[in-house]
Amino acid sequence: MAFLETCVFGVIFIGFFGIIFKKNLIMKILAMDVMSTGVIAYYILVAARGGIFAPIVDDAQETVAYADPVPQAVILTAIVIGFSIQALMLVGVMKLSRDNPTLETREIEKIHTP
Amino acid sequence: MHDITIIWILLPFVIGFSIYLLPQIDRYLALLVFSASLGFGTVQIFQPEPYQLHLLDSFGVTLQVSGQSGYFILTNALVAIAIILYCFNSPKSAFFFTQLTILHGAVNAVFICADLMSLYVALEAIGVSAFLLMIYQRTDRSIWVGLRYLFISNTAMLFFLIGAVQVYQANNSFAYAGLANAPIEAIALLFIGLLTKGGIFVSGLWLPLTHSESETPVSAMLSGVVVKAGIFPLMQFALLVDSINPIVRLFGMGTALLGVSYAVFEKDSKRMLAFHTVSQLGFVLAAPAVGGFYALSHGLVKSVLFLLAGNLPSRNFKELKKTGIATNLWIPLAIASLSISGMPLLAGYSAKVLILKNIESWQEIGMNLAAVGTAISFSKFLFLPHSPELKGKAFSTNNWGFWAAIALLLGGLFITNGFYLDAYKLSNFPKALITIAIGWGAYWLIFQKLSIKLPRVVEQFEHLVGAMSLVLTGLFWMVWA
Repeated sequence: MAFLETCVFGVIFIGFFGIIFKKNLIMKILAMDVMSTGVIAYYILVAARGGIFAPIVDDAQETVAYADPVPQAVILTAIVIGFSIQALMLVGVMKLSRDNPTLETREIEKIHTP
Repeated sequence: MHDITIIWILLPFVIGFSIYLLPQIDRYLALLVFSASLGFGTVQIFQPEPYQLHLLDSFGVTLQVSGQSGYFILTNALVAIAIILYCFNSPKSAFFFTQLTILHGAVNAVFICADLMSLYVALEAIGVSAFLLMIYQRTDRSIWVGLRYLFISNTAMLFFLIGAVQVYQANNSFAYAGLANAPIEAIALLFIGLLTKGGIFVSGLWLPLTHSESETPVSAMLSGVVVKAGIFPLMQFALLVDSINPIVRLFGMGTALLGVSYAVFEKDSKRMLAFHTVSQLGFVLAAPAVGGFYALSHGLVKSVLFLLAGNLPSRNFKELKKTGIATNLWIPLAIASLSISGMPLLAGYSAKVLILKNIESWQEIGMNLAAVGTAISFSKFLFLPHSPELKGKAFSTNNWGFWAAIALLLGGLFITNGFYLDAYKLSNFPKALITIAIGWGAYWLIFQKLSIKLPRVVEQFEHLVGAMSLVLTGLFWMVWA
């Protein structure tokens, strides 16, 4: 469990530093996606603390180590929000790429900072 | 009341999407929604006791409506109505009004939700609809500004999510009440999300570019209402958990001083207003229990100022000094500037008195300095040369909607004085007047002649994201202490 948690936080950090160090706008957006994947994995991990069985009531077996359904249900919302934001951003990037084909963030920023 | 609350919170979303199907009456539908909020907010301010709603069972959504939420909802309604009036004769499409209504609904949701997950969803809905409003012009610059905003806010909200699940782990519930026994890193992570969303201290340095480069009505909406969605939960947290209270107050003071120190040196009117928003949010946070009224007075003033600044012949103060402005624009500009500097008879004065009465002793110096800085930065508008002869397209607006919007917001400044009549004790007057006098004096003697340009390097995208990690580290230390 501790090892998994380390891995999850590792993914979050990799994503976060990707946002800072990648120069290309598309790569930055992908890095943000990596980061949000890490966050989603963390929710799944928290849900699996008590057990990993799917939380479906079974009369035959009374005591089964169920996974907690709440974080899973909640993160579903966050996944949907994350992917819609991703889509919106990519549309924005497509528009920007007409005049800035390299999509280098620094260049775009230089042009558009008054 | 429960059923009314549910209907009211759903209304913006139902009607918002209908607007897109009925573009002929888009403006009227939007007005209907905002008027409903106006009524609801006003009723809540006079509500004696906050009430709670539990939707579904213990894992469901919790809503809490209090007098403080009432102030914020009222601000949201008044500013939104003013923006509809302002855009009434403009050729804006139904899409704009749809987004505006949805944004209004999402901001309202933040003001009444009491659990972290609803808060997350509402804040992300705000992010998306605000982004769509920012890029309404479809120019490259507006798209870049919008993308930058969405990027920063989404990254911050990812940290928020990590914090939220840690609170859940400690309490098996996402309700705000669980913060008290949440691990410290959870609080730091939640804070980084909210501080960034609310434009507080260094986390708020994305705000000036975003608010100054957006279209006039959008700037007014963003600065008047939308950033307050980030600070309202912080106020709630501070009231719920005693150990968080001083941290929130400290951030309030820090951002008040940081914003104002940028604002006094700024040469561009819209950027000055945006930096000033950063500073005013600090006043709201400085006394979390009574911040609602200040948020209301600031929301009204800031939207008036943005609507006016967008209609001045130039954005640069130097050029404005040369050309002068028309008197009919200068009068509302002066009233708004006086209110925000804390001149008696206007809501800004009573709100400032209320805040300064409720701050801790260690905040006194900082907050009063910020108040003086406010007076200095608004002298730039007050002392602009003006003459009634200036006519022509650049100097006057003949749009009835524009004047209706200005009249509504300025009228609100006079009427909302009534929410805190205790401010009008004679003993409170000298301090307010002295603050303004010092500010004006400093402007005439010193700041008028200065031409220092503060570097904009901290506003670069990568530094903004990098600063997030620094603030996070700082927060860890603060919560540890």
